[in-house]
Amino acid sequence: MRKEMIISVMSKDRPGIISDITGAIYRLGGDVADLNQTVLRGYLTMILSASFEPEVTKEDLLAAISHIKTSCKFEVSIKELSPSQLEEEAGPPEETYILTVQGPNKSGIVHGISLFCFTHNINIFDLATTLRDGQYTMALQLDLKHCISSLAKLQQELEEYSQQSGLTIMMQHNDIFQVTNEIALH
Amino acid sequence: MLRSDQILATVEMIQKENLDVRTVTMGISLLDCRGGDVEQTCKKIHSRIIDYAGNFVATCDTISKKYGIPVVNKRIAVTPIAFVGAGFFREDFVRIAQTLDQAAKDVGVDILGGFSAQVEKGMTNTDLEFIASIPEALARTERVCSSINIGSTQKGINMDALAMMGKTIKDLAEITADQGGFAAAKFVVFCNQPGDNPFMAGAIHGLEEADAVLNVGVSGPGVIARALERLIEKHPEPGTLRLDELAEEIKQTTFRVTRCGELIGRAVSKSLGIEFGVVDLSLAPTPTVGDSVGEIFKILGVDAIGAPGTTAILAMLNDAVKKGGIFASKTVGGLSGAFIPVMEDAMLAEAVGDGSLCLEKLEAMTCVCSVGLDMIAIPGSVDADTISAIIADEMALGLINAKTTAARLIPVPGKEVGDSVSFGGLFGASPIMPIRNIGKSSRFIAWGGRMPAPIHSFKN
Repeated sequence: MRKEMIISVMSKDRPGIISDITGAIYRLGGDVADLNQTVLRGYLTMILSASFEPEVTKEDLLAAISHIKTSCKFEVSIKELSPSQLEEEAGPPEETYILTVQGPNKSGIVHGISLFCFTHNINIFDLATTLRDGQYTMALQLDLKHCISSLAKLQQELEEYSQQSGLTIMMQHNDIFQVTNEIALH
Repeated sequence: MLRSDQILATVEMIQKENLDVRTVTMGISLLDCRGGDVEQTCKKIHSRIIDYAGNFVATCDTISKKYGIPVVNKRIAVTPIAFVGAGFFREDFVRIAQTLDQAAKDVGVDILGGFSAQVEKGMTNTDLEFIASIPEALARTERVCSSINIGSTQKGINMDALAMMGKTIKDLAEITADQGGFAAAKFVVFCNQPGDNPFMAGAIHGLEEADAVLNVGVSGPGVIARALERLIEKHPEPGTLRLDELAEEIKQTTFRVTRCGELIGRAVSKSLGIEFGVVDLSLAPTPTVGDSVGEIFKILGVDAIGAPGTTAILAMLNDAVKKGGIFASKTVGGLSGAFIPVMEDAMLAEAVGDGSLCLEKLEAMTCVCSVGLDMIAIPGSVDADTISAIIADEMALGLINAKTTAARLIPVPGKEVGDSVSFGGLFGASPIMPIRNIGKSSRFIAWGGRMPAPIHSFKN
C-alpha cells in the first residue's frame, strides 16, 4: 500500500515554486493528490498531499526539496498519514455553515470569533479575512457536526456575541451560498 | 470555499432584503376519493389530506430553520372538486368545501385551493351544481379558495360560463357584505389555468399531475427593488447606466432568489418523500412596505404607476425574471411572471387612490405579465353583466396570446369610488377603482355560446 504524506511549504513568492516542489515529488515516484496554495503580501504558502512507494521516507522528500536551487529558502514541514487517518471521512458533512463577520477593524476580532468556535467545539474548515477602508470582514466555513449547542441556541448566542462586540454576524447553511453562486445545481 | 464578495452578496440578500420563499404548496390528488355518497367522499378526502400533509407544515418549518430562510406560506392544492364530486348536487359541494376547510385547519395550512371546475368548452350538470354552490361554500368556510377555468387557447371561451361568473362574483360579495365582500377575494376566473401553480387563490392540482407533488413559489419584489437601487446608487453620473444593465441585474438577482426556492423546495420534498414539481418564478407582492412590485416601476423610471412607460417596464421586468429563473431551476412552471394584485400591493393600491392607475391601464399591463386583473375592489353597484364583460376582455387577452390570464374582482357592497376597503393581512387594502361604461355590455354577454378558439391554436 502506498504511503500518504502531507507537505507544507512556505517561501517568498516567485515563478516556479510549484514546478520545483512537484518536480522533487515526481522524481521520488510520488503522485500529487490535493493541493492548495495562496499568496499573501508576497509570500506563498502551499499545502499538498502526495502518495509514495512504502520505501520513500519523509527524510528522502525533505532532502530532495532542500536540494532545489532557490534564492529564498523553502520552509518545509512533512507529516506521514497513518492508515487510520486515511480512513476518516473526506468532504464537508451536512452540517457545514458559513459564518460572516463584519465590523470596524480592531485588535482581537479573529481571536474572539475563533475562541467562540472553539468553546462550542466548532471546527473551522476554511477562513478568509479582508481589511478594506477600515472595515474588517471574515468569512468562515464551519463544521457544526460536533457543536455542543443546538442550531437555534447557537444562532441566539451569535446574536448576543454580535451585540456585545458591535460586529455584524450572520450564519447560514453552506448550501445557500453554493446554490446562489455556482452554475451547477447539486 | 467561495470568494468573500460572493458570500457577502448572498448575506446581503438574506439579511437586508428579506429574502423568503413565498409559498410551498402541496398538490394532492383526490380523484379516487369519490365514495358512494357525500359523507363517504368527505371522509376519504379528509383522511387523504391528513395522510399526505400531516407533517407538511412542521417539515417546512424545520427546513426553513436549517437554512435560515423563511417559508412564508404553506398551502395545499387539490384536484378540481367538480371532477372529484361528479354527480353530486349543490349542497353536497358545500359539504365538501367544509371538509376541505376542516382538513386545512387540521394540518395547519391557512389556504387550500382547488374548489374548482374546468369548463372552457362545456358544462356538465355537475359543473352547474358546483358553480351554484360556490357563494355559500366560500361564505361558510375560512380557508378554501375557488377558481373556474372558462377559456383556453385550444378550446375558446365558454360564454355561458362567463355570463355566470359575473353573477357568482356579485353573490359572493353580497353574501359576505358584512366583511366588505371578502368571499369574492377567494374566487378567481381563469383562461389557460395551469395545473401546477402554487399561488393562491388559483392553485389547483391538475388532472395531469401525480398523486402528490410539491410546487414552490419564489417571490422577492423587495430583493429585486433593493438590488436595483444599489446598482443605481453606484452610477450617480447620468448616462452611465443603461436599461439593459438594469435588466441584467434583475436577471441575476432572480437567479439567486430562484435557487434558494429550489433548494428549500427540494429539501422539503426529500424529507416528506413527495415528488418535487416546479418552481413558479413569480414576483408576488405583499402589503408589507418594501415588498411591492409597484415600487419597481418607480425605481425604473416612472414617477407615477400607470404613467406612460409602465407597461414597457413591466414587460422587461417579467422577461428578465423568467430568464434568470429558468436557468436557475431544473423545472419551471405555474404562472411564472410578475403579479400585479392591486389590494395586495400597497403602492399599486395607492396609485388607484390618486387616480394614476386605472382599470384600462391594468388591462394593458396584463398583456405582458402574469396573471391578470387581480384583487381589484370595484363599486358594489356595478352589475353582473359589466363584471362578466370585464372578465371577457381579460380572458380574450389570454386566449389570443396563449398565456394565462385571470380576474379576481371584488364588487364591495355599499362602497363607491372615493371609499376604500381593507381585508387585512395578506389580502391587503385599496381604494375603490372607478369603472367606466357601466351597464353597456349586457347585449354582448347575453349571446352565450362559445367564443371560438383562435386560428393559431390549430397546430395539428
